[in-house]
Amino acid sequence: MKLGIAQRLGLLLALIGVLASGLTGYYAYNASRDLLVKAAEERLLTATRVLVRQITVALDNTGRHVRLVAGHPRVAQALASTDPKVRAEAGGDLAALFSLILKTNPEYFQMRLIAAAENGMERVRVDRDEKGLVRVDGDDLQEKGHYPYVFNTLKLPADTIYISRPVINHEGGAHAGQGRPSLQMASPVYGGGKEALGMVVINLDMNGTFKLLAADLPSDIGLYLTNRRGEFLVHPDSEQAFAFDKGRQVLVQQQFPATAELLDGRNDNVVTTAQLESPQGGAVVAAFIKQPLKAPQQDAFFILGLTQPLNDVLQESDDLGFATLRIVLAFSALSVLLGALLARAVTGPLNQMVHAVQRFAAGGKTREPLPLSRGDEIGVLARSFDDMQQQIETQMASVQEKQSELDHLASHDSLTGLPNRRMFLDRLDHALARARRSGEHMVLLFIDLDHFKEINDRLGHAAGDVVLRAAAERMHGVVREIDTVARLGGDEFIILLDGAHDAEAIAHVASKVLECLAAPVSYKEEELRIGASIGIGQYPQDGGNATELIAAADRAMYQAKGAGRNRYCFAASAPADPAS
Amino acid sequence: MLTTKLLAPLLAIPLLGLLLAAPQTGQAASKPVLRVLAWPGYADADVVKGFERRSGARVELTIIDSDTALWQKISAHDAADFDVFAVNTAELQRYIDRGLVEALDQNAIPNTRRQLPQFRDLAAIAGLTRQGKAYGIPYTYAEMGLIYDRSQFATPPDSITALWDPRHRGRVLAYNGGTHKFSLAAQALGSASPFRLGAGDWPRAVERLIALRRNVLAFYNQPEEAVELFRQHRVALMYANYGMQQVRLLKAAGLDVGYAIPREGALAWLDCWAIVRGVRDRALAHAWIDYMLEETVSGLLVNRQGLSSTITTATAGQLGGRLLWLEEPEDVVRREKMWGSIVSGDRAEKVLAR
Repeated sequence: MKLGIAQRLGLLLALIGVLASGLTGYYAYNASRDLLVKAAEERLLTATRVLVRQITVALDNTGRHVRLVAGHPRVAQALASTDPKVRAEAGGDLAALFSLILKTNPEYFQMRLIAAAENGMERVRVDRDEKGLVRVDGDDLQEKGHYPYVFNTLKLPADTIYISRPVINHEGGAHAGQGRPSLQMASPVYGGGKEALGMVVINLDMNGTFKLLAADLPSDIGLYLTNRRGEFLVHPDSEQAFAFDKGRQVLVQQQFPATAELLDGRNDNVVTTAQLESPQGGAVVAAFIKQPLKAPQQDAFFILGLTQPLNDVLQESDDLGFATLRIVLAFSALSVLLGALLARAVTGPLNQMVHAVQRFAAGGKTREPLPLSRGDEIGVLARSFDDMQQQIETQMASVQEKQSELDHLASHDSLTGLPNRRMFLDRLDHALARARRSGEHMVLLFIDLDHFKEINDRLGHAAGDVVLRAAAERMHGVVREIDTVARLGGDEFIILLDGAHDAEAIAHVASKVLECLAAPVSYKEEELRIGASIGIGQYPQDGGNATELIAAADRAMYQAKGAGRNRYCFAASAPADPAS
Repeated sequence: MLTTKLLAPLLAIPLLGLLLAAPQTGQAASKPVLRVLAWPGYADADVVKGFERRSGARVELTIIDSDTALWQKISAHDAADFDVFAVNTAELQRYIDRGLVEALDQNAIPNTRRQLPQFRDLAAIAGLTRQGKAYGIPYTYAEMGLIYDRSQFATPPDSITALWDPRHRGRVLAYNGGTHKFSLAAQALGSASPFRLGAGDWPRAVERLIALRRNVLAFYNQPEEAVELFRQHRVALMYANYGMQQVRLLKAAGLDVGYAIPREGALAWLDCWAIVRGVRDRALAHAWIDYMLEETVSGLLVNRQGLSSTITTATAGQLGGRLLWLEEPEDVVRREKMWGSIVSGDRAEKVLAR
């Protein structure tokens, strides 16, 4: 099927409309999706910052507890007094204080006072166990001088904090803290001397601390914490936390490659997307922050991260996508509709014009209505066409008029206005055909004017013409409407009588013709007298066709002329003259 | 309608965009998995990758740093957690006793032909075979000598008693492994058979180890940890559980250290690969051991780790001195329990009560 110009135009408009709305929708969707992801990343980074801040505050808080106790005079007394009784009393007081602190801080596993002397012997120790708090005393106290948190703390200046690496506590007899992720925070005790007398240390329950901090996080948010090597300390999959303690290396930079920037110091926060393996699976948006520890150790920091499933983030963008799709579809439908309307608007008047032209070309008499009143190009075209149509009609009318005039001239005698020989023969053929078909009779009167030549010679052609016109007029007046009077040429006329006539009726007509021609014709004060000789031929008696019939009538006319003129004579009564 | 036919692809453009924007889902591969338990330096990441490439399997590598941890991991869950592991000949005995390992098929490990003759005759090495069946393929060995800071020693230490020397107090490092700490204590006490403590030997051994605890800076587990402590605390003397491997690490860290074999003799271990009874894919485990004996892989032990390999001539023992190959001690569990107590800081009475 070939498309019309209007369909093509409509289709083009629809296509442009669909394309425009489709592309706009697509790019709008993409742009807003990016914005949504960006916003989610910002939110996640902010949440991570807040959490880091909370951790820092929590650690600061523990640090204050440690420093506060380390600076207490009873502590120095318990470590350095030479009087065992004073030492014991001070120890008792401190145990009560430690219990109080452990009671109010459920995330503390253990609080101890450790002497620098006696290989780091514990002096006061309160542990948490399943039932509550336990004071460890006497022979149960242990030497801890060979643990890094002890020998490192004892080297620190007064009023400073040591923060250990987070480890699984494998020290025997640590009660609730044993085998659990712990962090030691300690501060040295100076009794005024240059050497530290001992130290106060709190074992922090890392899981407990993070449980508190992460309590407000929605369940789909993943919480990650790593040490300075990137080894996980907290991981949504608990198998991967402290994997190094179980002999496996699970690193944040393996699971979130972008965090390598944090570990090598290029950056202190990253936002990234990553594909997680089971159990949570799927893509996540992740924000990681590197936070230095306020501790004297070199390059001590931790990395905290939060993840959110990308699907959650994109849920909004999917909603947006569907809304966009609906709008795109609606506008596309509108474009198609508009295209169709445009096609119709253009096709309507064009079709109207096409019909009009076709009808005009087919020669229809009535005119098709045209969109003449339109102000646009189609209106101009219609008006031009209308003008052309009118002009053609006018010209056609004059051509037809001239044609009928020519036709008349060709079939009529110009002088008398009677049908000429050609037309007569035509009518005769018709009449013969009819007569043959119906079996009817038909009659020819062959008339020759008498004395016409004399008048013509004597008075000129003008007189002859007057005579001929008068004769024609008179003969036409005496025959019926249906009968044909024709001039064959010169002074010869012929009359075709239609229908059956008996001899008497024929004779009557012939007499009337003779009579009408017998009357004189006025020409310039002169009465011209003429007469006529009439030969009568009848079908079918005198001839079967036009030639025979005319010849028969012609012979009869000569017979009448020979018999004295001004009379008629039947061909049947005249003998055939082979000579004529 | 014709129009809709033409419009369909156009409408499809934005739809296609939406589809393309949809997140792609990953595909989980289901490869065979080999669960390996090894010591630091035995199977570095590139070595593991090489095996994964060759076998098409995935290796789950767990690094252990003490005999205790190794025993716990293998014996847990009825030996179902691992396929293949590295263990010294002395430790291997209790695994055989408990039926935790299965006999090896030497024919499935063609690379054993590359090994030096003394490692090929398994029956000639104590502890590798039992009732004619082989349970371990020798892989690497080292003697546990003394590493010292050259700037702090005019002459190399010639006795393990240097570890107890009060002049080095707080500048000594020792390994946090219980079983052969008692062997070391027995050596220091002049015992002729450090792997066989008699009933009367325990209190003295415990006393020695507590004294050691009081003299050391710290007990280390991993070689890297030792390097860090060594450097940060100006350590003078270290008992090298990993032997030359640690010398190499310390030298790489820029420390000027020496290595000495004490006159009491150095305890030496021979680690071999063994296959766990609960092995999932026996052929794959054999392939792993075979791969470990490749020249490139075993060569790394020497070139990268400073350990000895079973396919090239020894580095261990080059310094001369007597080597005491580890033997199964009289009571591993007791030794470990006591060591746990000692390292936690308990007094002698409490330790002995364990």
